[in-house]
Order: sequence, then structure tokens, then C-alpha cells
Amino acid sequence: MAERALYLDYAATTPVDARVAERMRAFLSPDGEFGNPASMQHAYGRVAHDAVEKAREQVASLIGAEAAEIVWTSGATESNNLAIKGVAEAYADRGRHMVTMKTEHKSVVDVCRYLEQQGWRITWLPPQPDGRISTETLAAAINEETVLVSLMLVNNETGVLQDIASIGRLTRERGVLLHVDAAQAVGKMPVDVEHMQTDLLSVSAHKLYGPKGIGALYVRRRPRARLMPQIHGGGHERGMRSGTLPTHQIVGMGEACRIADEAMAKEAERIRALRDRLWQGLSELPEVYRNGSDSHNVAGILNVSFAGVDGEALHAGLSGLAVPLALSSGSACTAASQESSYVLRALGREDELAYASVRFSLGRWTTQDEVDRVITSVQTLVNALRRRSPAWQKDCAGPAPGMGDEHPQYSDAVWRYFTRALAADPSEDEADLVVASDTPGSRARMQLRARIEGGKFVSAEARVYGCVSSLAAGAWLAEYLIGKSPEQLQVTTAEIEQDLQLAPVKRHCALMAEDLLGMISRQARLTVDAAEKVAS
Amino acid sequence: MPVYFDHNATTWLDAAVLDAMQSSLAGRYGNPSSLHRFGRVARDAIDRAREQVAALVNAHPGQVVFTSGGTEANNTAVKGLAARSRPGRILLSAIEHPSVLELEEPLKAGGWQVDFVPVTREGIVDLAALQCMLDEGGVRLVSVMAVNNETGVLQPYEAIAGQVRAAGAIYHCDAVQAAGKLSFSYPESGAHILSLSSHKIYGPKGVGALILDKALDIEPLLHGGGHERGLRAGTENMPAIVGFGAAAELAQQQLESRTQHCAGLRDQLEAGLSALPDIRIFGQEQPRLPNTSQFSVPGYDGEALLMALDREGIAVSSGSACSSGKGEPSHVLLAMGIDEQVARGAIRVSLGKDNTGAEVEQFLSILARLTGAQTQQSSGDRFASVMGQ
Repeated sequence: MAERALYLDYAATTPVDARVAERMRAFLSPDGEFGNPASMQHAYGRVAHDAVEKAREQVASLIGAEAAEIVWTSGATESNNLAIKGVAEAYADRGRHMVTMKTEHKSVVDVCRYLEQQGWRITWLPPQPDGRISTETLAAAINEETVLVSLMLVNNETGVLQDIASIGRLTRERGVLLHVDAAQAVGKMPVDVEHMQTDLLSVSAHKLYGPKGIGALYVRRRPRARLMPQIHGGGHERGMRSGTLPTHQIVGMGEACRIADEAMAKEAERIRALRDRLWQGLSELPEVYRNGSDSHNVAGILNVSFAGVDGEALHAGLSGLAVPLALSSGSACTAASQESSYVLRALGREDELAYASVRFSLGRWTTQDEVDRVITSVQTLVNALRRRSPAWQKDCAGPAPGMGDEHPQYSDAVWRYFTRALAADPSEDEADLVVASDTPGSRARMQLRARIEGGKFVSAEARVYGCVSSLAAGAWLAEYLIGKSPEQLQVTTAEIEQDLQLAPVKRHCALMAEDLLGMISRQARLTVDAAEKVAS
Repeated sequence: MPVYFDHNATTWLDAAVLDAMQSSLAGRYGNPSSLHRFGRVARDAIDRAREQVAALVNAHPGQVVFTSGGTEANNTAVKGLAARSRPGRILLSAIEHPSVLELEEPLKAGGWQVDFVPVTREGIVDLAALQCMLDEGGVRLVSVMAVNNETGVLQPYEAIAGQVRAAGAIYHCDAVQAAGKLSFSYPESGAHILSLSSHKIYGPKGVGALILDKALDIEPLLHGGGHERGLRAGTENMPAIVGFGAAAELAQQQLESRTQHCAGLRDQLEAGLSALPDIRIFGQEQPRLPNTSQFSVPGYDGEALLMALDREGIAVSSGSACSSGKGEPSHVLLAMGIDEQVARGAIRVSLGKDNTGAEVEQFLSILARLTGAQTQQSSGDRFASVMGQ
């Protein structure tokens, strides 16, 4: 890592607070409390057991629960799995219908899809354009067969906050269980299981400055929510979740919850102010759109769509800056698959704009200086990308963004030409020759402009809307053209691919470039012929 | 000085493992699924650990799926294979860990017939009985552990694999107590799928692994997000995974010295035990884990003996930590046909690489004193005279 990146991905995971790490170390070192909490017959085990129980109280206290209502899991994904599948197996005799939302976290979506395969009926509620669900819509979806409503308190991509208290009143009235995925909420805002009247609630440690690999599920005792265990063997956690308890992680989660309890109110206020400052700065750009709700949201998350830039180029640009920004297009869990966010599409964002979206998530160590640097970086990059686009007409002047020397996802050649494309300012001169090409569906559009004098290209410039490779191909094309005569333009797709070390999935960029070369060569010869005729 | 003789329940972290985990615990952070640099640093660390864990059992890194521990690995293997198969018969050995045995109920609920393969008096799975059960037909899945966690007795997993494969069934082997404690190779074992755990080999708790052939069709236990080739959802527990990798590498490097050290202590212990009256050591003549000795002090209540030892600062176990505190005699010993009274007096000593001969001597002398007191207790007048002093 050349330059330490600016971290704005707190919703994906948070660093462990130093106080948490300190507590954890006491349970890791050889002279520490390493016992198995289930080994109650000796002191090593009992010390570990006591530490686990203390942490259980700390977690319970943060969400207004009793310690005996907390079940340790390996994380919020497991909590969600246990809650939904556990209820499905325990209550199947009552009905086989559940209600959830289209914008839930993957771990809820995938569990519900699995249940659909098992013969369950799932109602997937669409959100309103602001990401919220109305209690009327929910009320209409509940029927006699319904056993569970599963909704997230705070959306992980947009930060949108649901009115769970009203929903909890409704589900309680209708005699339906309510599960709340609160992974993005706990530790960031007050969460009270009594106030929300929730029966089950998922918590994650690594979203609140605790360790990865540990989470909890709140399971209501009065009235009791029944669950069938998903991991069997040994009867840990009152039979609801077996497996040796990872003492150090549990203690870490307890400490993280204790700190959150103490720091939350002030911290949320500070982070909210920074988040608002960030939005204010970014919205100085024309045609940027905030995704989600302006008034009902968690403090640390801001999701923005940038019109007129390609999503891949935007994200590669942000992560390839000389001081890179570490952030996400949405959930880290789906980041590896390069699709646009299903959450944003459910809010009504069209594919292209959903793809050109960035989730900024701020946290405990985000500073105002960082926010200001982020604003400048994003503005500069978006302006540079828009300047290169053949379609963008509005004001987008500004300095060239400072890019890093390499990017692990791209070949050196592609990255070099991409940064060259970003640095170049479009010329104001009239071009003699303009040719254009695009890919099916216009996901990428490329325009080549050139001037010819004395039978040779004296200037050339590419304007591209598209991915990093297409911008690189444009820059390569412009460079290739200068100094050559129209007859000399003889390059195959394979040669372009080789020159740029293009990935096979990016072959269409080379094809577009080859097309443009052919077109401009023909047009140039016509121009030259015409000029010669005039001269003779 | 307190003495820890319960390494089959859990071990402490080796200092080198803790070192390896330090930077990922508090320093560099990132969600391994994130595409940015922080995420990639985490991913590289996980890939390295994957290689280290694979090497421990001579597997390919692509065959490693990280889980939250051995229990989750066992559950995923058995439930996950069953979920993708037409219900039929499943065979579990009678001495499996509770995380396998307790799958009986959910399997039955899923339409499976669950049968238990008996073991011999020496604690070894009865191969002839297994063959009979396989010959009856309909068996799709067999789960037999590599090494028993209580007695330490090695199971004939290669022979089992041969029989199971010949019958066209899938063999899951719980290798939690084997991998890292003795030489164990995934390809040579013949098993289709293995379960491993980190905290039995001086790695952190909260992480384990499945080793499996990519061709196996298995339903994930945890859905959502497609981590670990879609077989195990959830943000990877990166520091623990890094720790597991380091622990696996150390275990491989030190396998011989640890084996010699523990076997030496165990032999010293058992020589001392044989000097005590009527002590019975289980599976003593069988190939065993070098660190494990389970024995019974006849006429003595194991729980009471454990409590007495605990007061003397000695940590041992009656069997599996997972079922301790229940006051029931070991299911493993009962399956071996051991009399219930004898089984109730069972003590498991599981030694570690840092234990010493002096600790073994300390244990032996305390045990002699405690069981001596027991003899006095059983005799009324001598008991009274002791109390009178």
C-alpha cells in the first residue's frame, strides 16, 4: 500500500477500538484466560464463563434486553439465518408465509429464497421511493398464514431508518412474530427491544468497533419466541446455538457495546454533522442524487448517484487516486459481483445510475479534514470523467485528479492510458473529423475527433463515456493517430488488446477502437481527396 | 501452581499465533469482501491462511472452507450433504462428538433413518458391523471421527473410507482432534469431507474449517452473500482465520516434537497411574493420540473427583467440555460397553506441548492423596479418626 487510503467504509466493517483489542488480548495470551467457557468443572472454564456472562449483560443492556435473551452467534449473518430458519422450523404448523422487503441484506434475502425453495411463500414488499415501508402496505401483506415479518432497522446501503416501533405494534396486534436485522443500527443509535416490540433482533460486533466473527441474536422470553436451532451439538446457549464460545470475541463484543452505550449519543451527533457536510459538498456538483430518505436515516451513511459517469470508471477512479478512497458501491457482501445494487434498483433508480452510485459511510475516526478531502477528490474526479464524456454538456471544468501509479484490477497499460485520459483537457478547437461508436445498449460511447494537415493527423482526441478500459482505449487511439497518414492506420483488434493488455471481457473496447480507426481513416481519405480536387 | 490438563477441550494461544493475529486485531481493518485496498489486504491474509490450513492436511487451498468452528463444520457437512440428497440411511458412530450425534433429531425430521455404528470394547468402530449395515443398503452418508476426543483412540478411517466408498456413500470424517496432533492427510484418509478446528491446536476459538472436494453437492448452513464459494455466508472472521493459519503451520512444523513430548508425559502419567490400585485406562493398548489418557478410578464419582482436583488447582475433564456439567456418564465409555459405575469415575487428562514432567508428578501425588482419602471415607471408623485429628 503506497499511500494509506482514506477509510469511508464503516458500514462494511469497522476497525476494532483499541480498548476492545486490549480486553481481547487478555483472553488470548498463553498466560491469559484461555479456558473453554463450557469447562465448568475447573477454574479456567469458570473464569471464561463469567467473562462471557458479563459480556452478555453488556450486549443486553445496550438494546434494553435481559441477559438471558441474548444468544451468541458467529455474526449477524448467522443471527439472521437462525432467526428466520429457526422460526420457520418451529412454527411451520401454524402457516408457511413470511413478509420481508426487497431491500433487505443478502443474508435475509438468501435465507428467504431458500425457504421459497422449501415451499414457503414470501411476500417481498417494495419500498417507497425514500426506502421506507408504510405500515399500511405491511398490514395488507399479513394474513392468517403469516408467521414472521423480517425487516431491517437501518438499511446497509442507504442508511434508511424504518419505523419499527409502529411495525412492532402492528405485528404484536396481529399475533405475528417480528424479526429485526439491526446490524447497522445497534451502537449507532438508541435501540430498545421493548419500545420496538420486536421478538428477534440481530446484532453484529464488527459494525460497532468490535471484532469480526461474533454477533448475537436477541430472542424474546415474554411472550416467548420459539426457535429451532440450526447448529446442534453440546447444547450451548440454552440449546439454541451449539459450539465452543469464542471467549475473546465475546468479551470484545461486550466491551464494544459498553463503549457504544457511553459514546453513542455524542458520536452520532458529530458523525451526522460530518455526513451532512459531505452531502453539502458533493451536491455542489450538478446532477447528483441522494439515495434514500433525507429525514429518516442513520448518522453515518450517505449514498449518492452521479449522473453522466460510468460506475466502473467512477469506482476505479476513487480507489485509484494517489490518496485512494476506500468505500463501496453498496454492500461489501455483494461487492465481489459487479452488478448494480438491487437495493437502489428497488428504490427506482435505473440501472446506469444505480451503477454509478457510491456509499460513503463515516465512523468513529472520520475527521472533518478527511471529509473535506473526500469532497475535493470526488468533485475533481467526477468533473474529469464528465469532461471526457461525449454526452456531457454542462460545466465540469477543474484541475486534473491526482491519480496513483497503478491499480491492482487493471493492467499497467490500461491504467496508464486511463490516467492520461483523465488528465487531458478537451480542446476547444473545431475538429475536422468526428466519428463515433458505441456498444449495444450504449453502456459505452466513444467519439474520436481529429484534425488533418498535409495528409497527416496533427491532433486527435477521444471523448469516452464508459469503463476504465474504454477510456484507456480512447486515449491509446488518440495517441496512435497523431503523426500518421490515413493510409497508415492499420491495426487489428488483437494488436490493440495486446498493446493495452486488455482483459478478455473488455474486448469490446478494442473493437470500438478498431471501428473508429476504420471510420476515421475512410473519412480522412475522403477529406484529403476532396482537398486535392479543390487544389487541382 | 495450577496445572492445565484439558487440552482436548481447548488450548491457549501460542505466542507466535497471537503475534500473527496482532496486526489484524486492531491495526489494519477491512471487510475481505470489499474491493478496495483495505479489503484486499484482508483477503490476501485469508488466502495465506487457507494455504497454511490446507497444507496441514495435505489438501488444496481451494478445498478449504472456513467456518466458525468444528461444531459448525460438522453441522454443515452432515446437514448440508443430507439436504442435497434424497433421504435414506445415515450411519453415525456411537462415539461421535455431540455436534454430530445431536443431528439425529433434525435428520429424522428430514425423513432420514439414522443408525449408529457400534464400537468395540477398545473404543474402535466395529468394521464388521459397519460392513453389515452398509450391505443392508440405502446408506448415503457415514460420519465417523478420525480420533475420539475422550479416549484419544484412533479410528480406522482409511478402512472405513474404503468400505463407505465401495458402498457408494459419502464419508464425513470429524478430524477436529486429529489434524495438527498427528500426521493426517486428506487425500490419504479417503474421506470426502473433513471438519477441523483451530482452538484445539493453539489457535483462536471461533474458527474452524471444512475440507471438501469441490464436486460435493452441499447445502450451506448459513445463507447470504456468497462468501467461501457460496458454502458459508458471513463476513470472514479475519483475525481468527489468520490465527488458525499460523497455528496450523506451527502444528505441522512441531508435530514430531509435540508428539514426543506429550507421549513421554503420557507414558510417565500412565506408569504412575498403574501404581495406584484398580485404575483402569481406556484404550491403552490401541493406537491413540499421544496427549490423551482417559481412565477411571473405580468406586469414585467422577464429578466429585473433578471438583476435588479443581480445588487443588488441577484442570482435567470427565469427557467432552461440551457436555460437562450435565452429570451424565460419558456416552463414549457406555458405547464401549463400560459399566456405568466405572464410566462415572472417568477422568480425561489431555496434555499439551507446554506441560512438564513436574506437573505430571504433582497430579499423580494429588490423585493418590485424594483417592487415598476416598478409601478412608469408605471405612467409617477410619473416617471418624481422620475427622477427629
